[in-house]
Amino acid sequence: MSKTTRILTVDDSASMRALLNHALTTHGFEVAQADDGQSALEWLQLNEVDVVITDINMPRLDGFGLIEALRRGTRHRDRPILVLTTESSDDKKSRARNMGATGWIVKPFDATKLVAAVRRVAH
Amino acid sequence: MTTAPSPGAAPGSVPAAPAPTRLTVLQGQARVSAGPRVELSTVLGSCVSTCLFDPEEQVGGMNHFLLAEPPPGSDAHTIDEHYGIYLMELLINEMLANGANKARLRAHLYGGANLYPGMAAIGSANAAFARAFLLRERITLVREDMGGNSARRVDFRPATGMVRCRSVANTFAPDERPTRRPTGGLGEVELF
Repeated sequence: MSKTTRILTVDDSASMRALLNHALTTHGFEVAQADDGQSALEWLQLNEVDVVITDINMPRLDGFGLIEALRRGTRHRDRPILVLTTESSDDKKSRARNMGATGWIVKPFDATKLVAAVRRVAH
Repeated sequence: MTTAPSPGAAPGSVPAAPAPTRLTVLQGQARVSAGPRVELSTVLGSCVSTCLFDPEEQVGGMNHFLLAEPPPGSDAHTIDEHYGIYLMELLINEMLANGANKARLRAHLYGGANLYPGMAAIGSANAAFARAFLLRERITLVREDMGGNSARRVDFRPATGMVRCRSVANTFAPDERPTRRPTGGLGEVELF
């Protein structure tokens, strides 16, 4: 019996979280949601996931701060983190890569490509 | 259709001179400015424009979108909201990057007309999407002028929040084509 892949989506937009939730659950993933980096960190202290998908621009703690915090700790140091963002700047992409992000996906996302990326990094 | 100030805008703050620097916001675009002479303008048929304004930071922005057609094979009445959400997020992110605070944002909505009787009411679908989006994101809607069957011209001063919305002949409305969900370029995945 194969294990269901668990995903945490982190985005301050309720609309985007709903869109992601629909795209991922219809492909058989188990999805939890957080509305910013701080909420994600608090949730991840108590829960396990296989992949984190995070936006960059968020209040309280942004996507860069979340990546940094997860890579600095021990529990989620090796957790795949996909950045899903409207940002198209190469500088920001490089910054995410240098901080330890696993991949960079540009919104508006294509559900097929997103799902393929999640499957690739989850195993 | 008249000029309307946003909350926080100083009455009569639109300068008579010098002439404004007019920037056109085309379908699929989002532009933000705090320039005191900048005026963001667009002409809408069934498309919708959102004007966002942060009265404390004195910065504003406008987008212009038409929802995408539903994915092939889906219910003909299903509206693909993906592109609308993307353009709303693009506008909000650009506002935040220019110092705005999401909790302070005030919104105006314009457009969403159904220009041609007998055709699918895509304008109504756009208007409903925009209202629902603002509600979900807890952004205060202070004014809307949507629906009907006439094209509109919207001029927005982003630094003051002043908006002027007028009816124009439908022939002035751009040739609006529903935006298909992008298949190349956007949505690209790069694994490091």
